[in-house]
Amino acid sequence: MATEKRDTENATTGAKDELAQAAARPAAQAAQRASASEGDSGRLTLDNVSARYGAFRAVKDVTLAVRPKSVTALIGPSGCGKSTLIRTINRMHETLPGATVSGSISLDGVDLYSSDVDPVRARRVVGMVFQKPNPFPTMSISENVSSGLRLTGGTSKSEIAGIVEDSLRRAALWDEVKDKLNQPGTSLSGGQQQRLCIARTIAVKPRVVLMDEPCSALDPVATLKIEELIRDLATEYTIVIVTHNMQQASRVSDETAFFSMDDDRAGYLVETGPTAEMFTNPKQALTEGYIQGRFG
Amino acid sequence: MSTPVASIAKLLTQPTSGERARQRINWGMRVIVGVAAFLAILPLIALILFVILKAAPYLVPTFFFNNPLDKEPGVLNAIVGSLQLSGLTVLISGPIGIAGGVYLSEFASPRVVAIGETVIDVMLGVPSIVAGVFAYLILVPVLGFSGWAAVAALSILTLPIMMRSTQEVLRLVPQAIREASLALGVPVWKTALFVSVRTALPGILTGVILAFSRALGETAPLLMTARGTNAENWLDFSTTMNAMPIVIYQYSNAASDLLIGQAWATALILMVIALTINVLVRGRTVNSRTA
Amino acid sequence: MAGMELRRVGGMSADTLFRRITGTGLLILFVVLAGLIVAFVGYSNPLWTIQSPIEFLTSSTWSTGTIDESGQTVDALYGALGALFGTAATSLIAVLFAAPIGILAAIFLVEFAPPRIAAPLTFIVELIAAIPSVVFGLWAAGDLSNRLRDTIEWWIASSFGRFLPFLSEDPESPAADSVFRAGFLLAIMILPMVVAVSREFIRSVPISLREGYIGMGATKWEVIRDVILPTARIGLIGGVLLALGRAIGETIAVTMVIGNAEGVPSSLFQPGQTVASKIASNIGEASGEIAIGAMAALGLSLFLLTTVISLVVRVLVRRFAVTGGRV
Repeated sequence: MATEKRDTENATTGAKDELAQAAARPAAQAAQRASASEGDSGRLTLDNVSARYGAFRAVKDVTLAVRPKSVTALIGPSGCGKSTLIRTINRMHETLPGATVSGSISLDGVDLYSSDVDPVRARRVVGMVFQKPNPFPTMSISENVSSGLRLTGGTSKSEIAGIVEDSLRRAALWDEVKDKLNQPGTSLSGGQQQRLCIARTIAVKPRVVLMDEPCSALDPVATLKIEELIRDLATEYTIVIVTHNMQQASRVSDETAFFSMDDDRAGYLVETGPTAEMFTNPKQALTEGYIQGRFG
Repeated sequence: MSTPVASIAKLLTQPTSGERARQRINWGMRVIVGVAAFLAILPLIALILFVILKAAPYLVPTFFFNNPLDKEPGVLNAIVGSLQLSGLTVLISGPIGIAGGVYLSEFASPRVVAIGETVIDVMLGVPSIVAGVFAYLILVPVLGFSGWAAVAALSILTLPIMMRSTQEVLRLVPQAIREASLALGVPVWKTALFVSVRTALPGILTGVILAFSRALGETAPLLMTARGTNAENWLDFSTTMNAMPIVIYQYSNAASDLLIGQAWATALILMVIALTINVLVRGRTVNSRTA
Repeated sequence: MAGMELRRVGGMSADTLFRRITGTGLLILFVVLAGLIVAFVGYSNPLWTIQSPIEFLTSSTWSTGTIDESGQTVDALYGALGALFGTAATSLIAVLFAAPIGILAAIFLVEFAPPRIAAPLTFIVELIAAIPSVVFGLWAAGDLSNRLRDTIEWWIASSFGRFLPFLSEDPESPAADSVFRAGFLLAIMILPMVVAVSREFIRSVPISLREGYIGMGATKWEVIRDVILPTARIGLIGGVLLALGRAIGETIAVTMVIGNAEGVPSSLFQPGQTVASKIASNIGEASGEIAIGAMAALGLSLFLLTTVISLVVRVLVRRFAVTGGRV
């Protein structure tokens, strides 16, 4: 029976050979499509990106174009380097000892790794929401939101108050916290904390927001709220989200990139495309297998 | 709104207001903490070099094998005395401390643990001079200046050290191992002794050795108990005993250059013993921790 | 089953017996603590028949009195103010130097130093703690003290000595020993403790918080300033207090460099004494229950001071474990 299945898969692969080849060089095409369709800001292009921890290569030669003002989901089995990959986008990866990146990542044509881009600056343009809600325990709710603004200075107190309110409204948290802005951020529930972290991230007006499994530590109700918020934020920000949950990917994302790992445990991009297509009619057998829950 | 495309390039490539200052502070602090770390190890280097320099001329072989009043003076009786005092201290406070640590870790109710840990904290904070005065007030009037009084004072200081280290290493023994043993029908006392303590034995011994090293370096309590002597004393704890710290302190006040030189030489011996013990013991723990 | 014959010993199960034997170990520690308290309170008691504890704490006169014609001791007064001042001054000077340097060094070890450098450096700092205090005393008396006199002490005295109290020194003939030098030596001696405790608490700040702030576009120092230090604050204070306790109790090294002069010194650059050094240098001559009582009272004050610090640290560290850091 297993043999039979494999045969079917091989047949499918063979039939879609042409399409698969097309998918194997998506970067140039996607970049072309993006630049042709819109001159909007927030176009993220990854070209041959590899990420290493010391000698171990966690991500291998990823080439991927992210459409501006949309949600791109990175899916794949655990350990396939999705989290490592998004951490290269805001230059977070290099903060770990021994971690290195090669290839190029550019935002609106500016190479994020070029010498005139300071990593500290890049992280303000490319914000990040983490797996576990991590409000700063010694800061109040409003201080958490304004923390990025206060770092750079130059924003008046009243402006900050306004931005705090805007950001909290944008993160759909304002009504729940407006009466306790001076309480510690850690006093909130897990879902509220994660929305606080989102508010904190968008308060500095980034162009890209990276989300590393933002709902993995949350209950279903809180997850749903965050997902709504992600859809809503996509009108304004380019969002890249790593998720283990395929339903979540299909619910929130416009594009999906599927990753797997090779024999050396290095993660690589299998294919990418519009989410609807990826879930109903993936080009690669590997993707189909994963989506149907056969492995991973 | 400005054109977003231009603004991204600008945001990425052009320093924001105050950014240069922030980066400068970052680099400045990097230098400052590095300098602080250097300052933290500087005294050790200076001290070791200086002691070696001062001690070297006096550190002849006879120094190790003669006693203070011999024609070629030495500190054999002080080395022997220090080892005897610290050894007996560990022999007395070791079993008591380990027993208390085992009780706290294996049997005590949370309430007793809380009280016990508080008492250990308080006892760990007791200055060595206080232990010395205690022995001086209580024991010296009865026993006279003696090794026993010194061992009592040193034991007061090492007892909480040993109890704390035993309790902490036992805490690292996984509960599952204990439960596995109990589930096999092994009695509690055997489980505690042959499973928990056996597993934690290297850590417990480390505590004992560090306590020995601590006792070796104590000075103030010895001055008011063992007092020091020029005679050789093998295992007679009922009378005065010499010890390296006593020699260092007393000779350092002496008017003779020869005696001061001997103080340096004795200091080097004591320091080398203390550092060697610590390097061996801690070096091992550090390695096993990283492995 | 093996061990059957040991099951019951004198009508008591082996488990109960083992439990009692180990429990005795803990009990002995309790008895020792109780013994310390009883002994110090008891032995200091005779002193309060001739003077009040207030006089003990506020007078700077330490006099064993004179013996009149009838053989009675008169005019004895044991005021510990000079020693208490010396203890406060030396331990505060120690903390003043050791706290910032120790915490900054810990920051370097945890946050900046590559592992290859951090491990040996941490080890070296820990070794300082292993050096016996009498060796520190000898080194300070033979070398460090003079260097301090000619550098830091001279600089402070010549810059601030003219208009700040307690900081003056005659540049022509500086004193042979001084309170300041004893305090600085203590700083070196408690440094490893500050570093070790700070290091533990800085390390305990979760990586998720650091990354959160780095992700907001913070520099490394800003992460330390705004996230790590505030989160680890209580633990850092606890570590410094612990080191303060150690400095208060340190005896022999201080005795060797402070000069052991009576009374409250006119300047930190003059010789003085601490409670501990006073005990060490005076206890040999103390005879009679009143003079012994004065020694016991000094010991009791040291014991109380360090006990209070131990208890405060315990409360602080517990609060840290409950509220701070570990998210």
